[in-house]
Amino acid sequence: MGRFLLRRVLTALATLVVSSFAVCMLIHLIPGDPVMMMMAQNSSPTPEQIARMRHALGLDLPFWLQYFHYMGHVLRGDLGRSIFGSEPVATLLLERLPNTFALAFTGLVLAAGMGMPLGFLAAYKKGTWADSLLMMLAVCGVSIPNFWLGLLLVLLFSLVLGWLPVAGENWASMILPAVTLGLTYMAIIARMTRSSMIEVLNEDYIRTARAKGMPERIVLFRHALKPALISVVTIIAVVFGYLMGGVIVVENVFSWNGLGRLALQAINYRDYPLIQGFILLFATIIVVISLLLDVTYAWLDPRVSVE
Amino acid sequence: MDAALPVSSDAALTLSVRGLSVSFRDGGAQVPALEDVSFDLHAGEVLALVGESGSGKSLTALAIMGLLPGGARVDRGTVLLESCDLVSLGPREMTCIRGDRMSMIFQEPMTSLNPVLTIGRQLTEGLEIHLGIAVATASARAVELLRLVGIPSPERRMREYPHQLSGGMRQRVMIAMAIACDPKLIIADEPTTALDVSIQAQIIAVLAEIRARLGTAILLITHDLGVVAEMADRVAVLYSGRVVEVAEAEALFDAPRHPYTQGLLSAMPRLDWLAAEGPRTRLAEIAGVVPSLRDRPDGCSFWPRCPLATEQCRREVPPLISTSDGRVAACWVRQVAA
Repeated sequence: MGRFLLRRVLTALATLVVSSFAVCMLIHLIPGDPVMMMMAQNSSPTPEQIARMRHALGLDLPFWLQYFHYMGHVLRGDLGRSIFGSEPVATLLLERLPNTFALAFTGLVLAAGMGMPLGFLAAYKKGTWADSLLMMLAVCGVSIPNFWLGLLLVLLFSLVLGWLPVAGENWASMILPAVTLGLTYMAIIARMTRSSMIEVLNEDYIRTARAKGMPERIVLFRHALKPALISVVTIIAVVFGYLMGGVIVVENVFSWNGLGRLALQAINYRDYPLIQGFILLFATIIVVISLLLDVTYAWLDPRVSVE
Repeated sequence: MDAALPVSSDAALTLSVRGLSVSFRDGGAQVPALEDVSFDLHAGEVLALVGESGSGKSLTALAIMGLLPGGARVDRGTVLLESCDLVSLGPREMTCIRGDRMSMIFQEPMTSLNPVLTIGRQLTEGLEIHLGIAVATASARAVELLRLVGIPSPERRMREYPHQLSGGMRQRVMIAMAIACDPKLIIADEPTTALDVSIQAQIIAVLAEIRARLGTAILLITHDLGVVAEMADRVAVLYSGRVVEVAEAEALFDAPRHPYTQGLLSAMPRLDWLAAEGPRTRLAEIAGVVPSLRDRPDGCSFWPRCPLATEQCRREVPPLISTSDGRVAACWVRQVAA
């Protein structure tokens, strides 16, 4: 277990170093001179302004030093300043983080909380109409783009029925975006839980449990559920990555004041320090959640702990 | 053919299978897999069910246990476990009998134990369900069972997971699980096939000791005639889903009656050949292949490969008949010859 954890933590750190390097170099992907591009709004920047900007972005340093320079600041919590508004990027991001976290977490809980039982049920009822219906709905859930689903939900629940607000900052206005996210990723989790459960139900040890005269509920919940969940947990780590991408879209559909909306604004204004900070933060969140799920996996599967 | 194996009034009769027929769905059609399988098994007896792969040995076992795979079903026949007909029981009643009055050991010890449950949990759950005893009592009994099947430091093993045990140890655990509730019948489906030769001997010894100590009847399914010679009291030979011969193990090895059994035995290498003959003799083989269930020939399913086949063999299925010398075989030719 100790060695497993150490390996996973090191992998996570390596992933972060690679992504931070990519983020740092992002500025060089801007076609033409990044400084000129960023100052395009300013009709005629003076040479002093340009030099100051170049220095602020660290672009006057040698290539390899730029990374250490950038990381030096990042590790001290300094992600630079937003070009527009000139507030510290870290402050801007941290302001929005709780909103995004609440939305993503609720979406994931909805997705896993409904997707796993439904997939479990479909596997148990494999080949029946209930299974076919659930899987058909899951295909719909996977296929419908979340921005469109979001718009439909707004149309139905906010405009036609008037039950829920279109947008806002309170918990009631979080219901629709969270459900939009939840439904999309629930479908993926349900399908994967189903296939994982079907695989487990065909294992020799399930036959052994039946040969021992275990009642069906014990076969399902004691013998099949845990091994099936182990593979689902690793899948959820992948789904979470997708979900973080979905958050950006859904936040914009519902005008939810989170990181995703901030990111879209930053992209529209070519606010590069803010985009860099956003990507770095998202990469960190995904790496940390994956690490946590790996630990959960190790905790669930006794085979991992001794390897 | 029921005449050959009359329903015995013997009180010690543990298992009596009569005319068991199993078919499975293949596309739209029902393909017969077992046809009129009949045999008896007495208390404390080891009956070996032998035959090539695909002859229906494992299917017979699963049908008795009520664990047929999806698509397979029992069409006809009775399976009496101490005069209780298992075929007529519902799933709930079968759940009560499985693991309690009869249990099964599988071929693959590596995959037959649940990887995420401790050995202790997998042993005690059966005791709790079937005997209704408390966790502490069940644990104490489980330790005892592990000791009985020859597992060193059983208290420690109780807390371990299957992957921490070797294949031989896992098979011992499977045996411990099978004998947990003191069953009348143990079905051992190829219990040694997946193990090293040295471990095979140990597992056979454990099974032999269980039989001697507890008086459990064992239905031993195997294609390994060496295991049969070592353990079995009687042998039932299965070919293409039908019983072709039933005999005392010794009599079967000395003088096989059915041509298929003869072929099977002459295909087995023997140590005394090495001493007796100078040049190595090539092992005999049975010409042809086992027919697939869908193109099973009319008449005796063995006739295309049988050196003695007659016109009658091609047309009519030979019944399992006992001859005057007390042997039981399903063969038109041998029946006449005897």
